[in-house]
Amino acid sequence: MTETKEADDFRARAKDWPRGNRYEDFTVGRVFKHHWGRTITEADSVLFTTLTLGYNPIYFNADYAQAHGHPRLVVNPLLVFNTVFGLTVEDLSEGGGPFLGVDALSYPKPVYVGDTVYAESEVISARETESRPDYGIVTWHTIGRNQDDETIIDYTRTNLVRKRT
Amino acid sequence: MKASELTSANNYFEDFEVGAIYKHARGKTVTEMDNVMITNMVMNTAEGHFNEDLMQRAARGIPGFDTRIVFGGINLSMVIGLAGQDTGEQVLEELGMDKIRLKAPVHHGDTLYAYSEVLAKEDGGRDDAGVITFKHYGVNQKDVVIYEGERRALMKRRSHWGDK
Repeated sequence: MTETKEADDFRARAKDWPRGNRYEDFTVGRVFKHHWGRTITEADSVLFTTLTLGYNPIYFNADYAQAHGHPRLVVNPLLVFNTVFGLTVEDLSEGGGPFLGVDALSYPKPVYVGDTVYAESEVISARETESRPDYGIVTWHTIGRNQDDETIIDYTRTNLVRKRT
Repeated sequence: MKASELTSANNYFEDFEVGAIYKHARGKTVTEMDNVMITNMVMNTAEGHFNEDLMQRAARGIPGFDTRIVFGGINLSMVIGLAGQDTGEQVLEELGMDKIRLKAPVHHGDTLYAYSEVLAKEDGGRDDAGVITFKHYGVNQKDVVIYEGERRALMKRRSHWGDK
């Protein structure tokens, strides 16, 4: 009996602590400086590369990478994409809705293990869709930068985004 | 260390002809381990990839979204990975991607296969490598196309690298 009472008490008193945005939050031109940043470690890159079968030795053979002019292992660019994307999710897409596509992605500079990446995005379009009245289609321009503020990835992404109502 | 002895002999810039389409040798079953590990490793906070309870309770009428779905970034990485030994082993630099479309959801236990089409070959502005554009396609075990997208890369020429 006592247990139930305590449980009811904390649940009844709890307020939701929501995360994520909805369609209505994405006004064209709004800029998001995304949270955290992330140092991409050698363990991250080699594990990601081997799990995804990314068989270019510059990502997992340091001797080979150095023989090709790199100071140390190159981070698999697909992990750079996934990491920068990951940093954007709370602000852009956690509110719900499938990830539809990416366009015009470039990697201006390689990322090396031990580098830190940061992410920033701008809303470039937001429109309603007749097929799903409870969702909109939003496109963002995302830029990833390293610890020296150099752009290491640049792309646009489009998602279905749930409306608040 | 001799790089040319560590990699394949048949996947240099000269080996690709515009218009050719290849089916790559291996498939991969995408497991819960792949999806949840990589999603959490890159701190993608979208619960739809790692909270089964939420997905079962909150199915919002979009077919295939009543259970955890694999993060689309993993789907594209896996498809490009499956194509990677053949079309990426001799790559000096990945230049970019375009027209990426995630055409159907992928779930734990689905098996992916990859195809690649050679769209274009350009001079790389250097003697030892050229720029190649592929279109990669990913299909699942039911032969449904789950991914398509283009990728540009700077690839070694055999004429310079074949014996290095």
